Amino acid sequence: MSFLETIRGMKFFDMHVHMTSRTTDDYQAMADAGIVALIEPAFWLGQPRTGVDSFRDYFASLVGWERFRALQFGIRHYCTIGLNSKEANNEALAEQVMEILPLFLYKEGVVGVGEIGFDDQTPAEEKYYRAQLDLAREANLPVQIHTPHRDKKQGTSRSMDIALEHGLAPGMVIVDHNNEETVKEVLDRGFWAGFTIYPFTKMGNERMVEVVRQYGPERIMVNSAADWGISDPLAVPKTAALMKERGISEEAIRLVTFQNALTAFGQSGQVSAEDLEQPIDIDQSQRYNGSSVLRGGQAPRVDKASTIIK
Amino acid sequence: MNIPALSDTLFDLIRQQPNAGPGTAYLSREVEAYRSEPNTALFYRVFTAIPRFVGKQTLTVDKESAQRLNALRSGFSVEGWSVDRLARVWWLLQLPADDPTAYFSTVENLFRAAEMNELVALYSALPVLAYPEHWRFLATEAVRSNIGPVQEAIMLHNPYPAEQLDEPAWNQFIMKAFFTDKPVEHILGFHERANEHLARIVTDYARERRAAGRTVHPQLWPLVKPFASEADRTELEHLFNA
Repeated sequence: MSFLETIRGMKFFDMHVHMTSRTTDDYQAMADAGIVALIEPAFWLGQPRTGVDSFRDYFASLVGWERFRALQFGIRHYCTIGLNSKEANNEALAEQVMEILPLFLYKEGVVGVGEIGFDDQTPAEEKYYRAQLDLAREANLPVQIHTPHRDKKQGTSRSMDIALEHGLAPGMVIVDHNNEETVKEVLDRGFWAGFTIYPFTKMGNERMVEVVRQYGPERIMVNSAADWGISDPLAVPKTAALMKERGISEEAIRLVTFQNALTAFGQSGQVSAEDLEQPIDIDQSQRYNGSSVLRGGQAPRVDKASTIIK
Repeated sequence: MNIPALSDTLFDLIRQQPNAGPGTAYLSREVEAYRSEPNTALFYRVFTAIPRFVGKQTLTVDKESAQRLNALRSGFSVEGWSVDRLARVWWLLQLPADDPTAYFSTVENLFRAAEMNELVALYSALPVLAYPEHWRFLATEAVRSNIGPVQEAIMLHNPYPAEQLDEPAWNQFIMKAFFTDKPVEHILGFHERANEHLARIVTDYARERRAAGRTVHPQLWPLVKPFASEADRTELEHLFNA
């Protein structure tokens, strides 16, 4: 049985996915699988940027083009804006990026500062992590923390220590990419715990089911972090399906795949249950035309099984 | 253009909307602060924050206001706009235009960091900005945009393109409107700016469509008709109206 059958009628909020690196087919598949909203955190594009204008255009695309592209498929696109840890190491550039961040943090649909935190845990990373925590506090925005791959456990603790030092309430901080080793401390200290279902390097979804079984659904949320790597933009609905098959309650599934993300990022004032219930304008001129995603005259749906291309 | 009168008319329109109280109070407070001490940081902040205070409801526009607007700025209309879009355009009118360098840099910085709805407001404001000839390149950038609502802001009910775009840019504008299936009857100057070069482009386009087995838009023929010679007329009529 397809996992789509198991989750029919459910709706999902993928609170971490890098759509810039994904195709239009992914949007279609995500919408078909019940994803109604997502958050795209600003991140490293795979190629280091060498000038501040590259950052400016990237941030502008997160609040402009990408948001529009998502809407074509009936998905609401939100983002978090920040200087990622890897590129914080280029200090000359980081200084310039810090200067333009306030231009974007107050935009509509910007639901937090992110993803920020540690990669190599260098002094430069710490400096800009701290500076951005201050920006988040001033703007009263949640923070989305990327926790490091290497030296993860200690990097996660340190990220939380520093957030508290800068006066952020734990309830305003979403600590992402958790695993079985980090989750207890994150929850015990009152932070939100994000889990990334990402093959090979992060969580598998069978492990995720066990985490929810052990810790319950409170303050836990699941995401795909799908990007340019081998990843899966359907990780959230697939995990929901697996949870259902393995006896996790529907209410718990709803919390970890939809509601908790909405509650945590809703603190920005930029996303609410009410927003998600507004019908998306399916005016033909917006939904089907007006962009190279769906060029004028083209049918909005392509039958992929057909040999004929019209 | 009488900018103060236009500004007052737009503000009155915001005030007439249901539940406008808190939004207009915010705008009055900010404009007073800005007038007493103009600084660009405040100007940018208010421009971005406007929807949080005035909301995003679709405007109700009474006939008198519409007529007054059109009298103050020919071709300018706000029907179908959301209130935040109108308030942003109003806010742009508060920017002092006496120093062109400062004026250009402030407005262009708004463009450079704009999200989708901000771009819509900025392009809607082109007809009422100072130094109209300065914004021609930006208008062509909106035509090149991939974002439907941005294209519509420049293409539909907007008097700026017909007044300011040169012929090659105008022709691209018209073709892009067809390629993106815009309701072309809402393009201002659509018939007035028909030209021979455009008629040739449109004819080639219609032939391409027929060759591909696709339909030909009924509004294309009026762009060709005035330039069709007697010799070609029958063939062209068949091409466009088959």
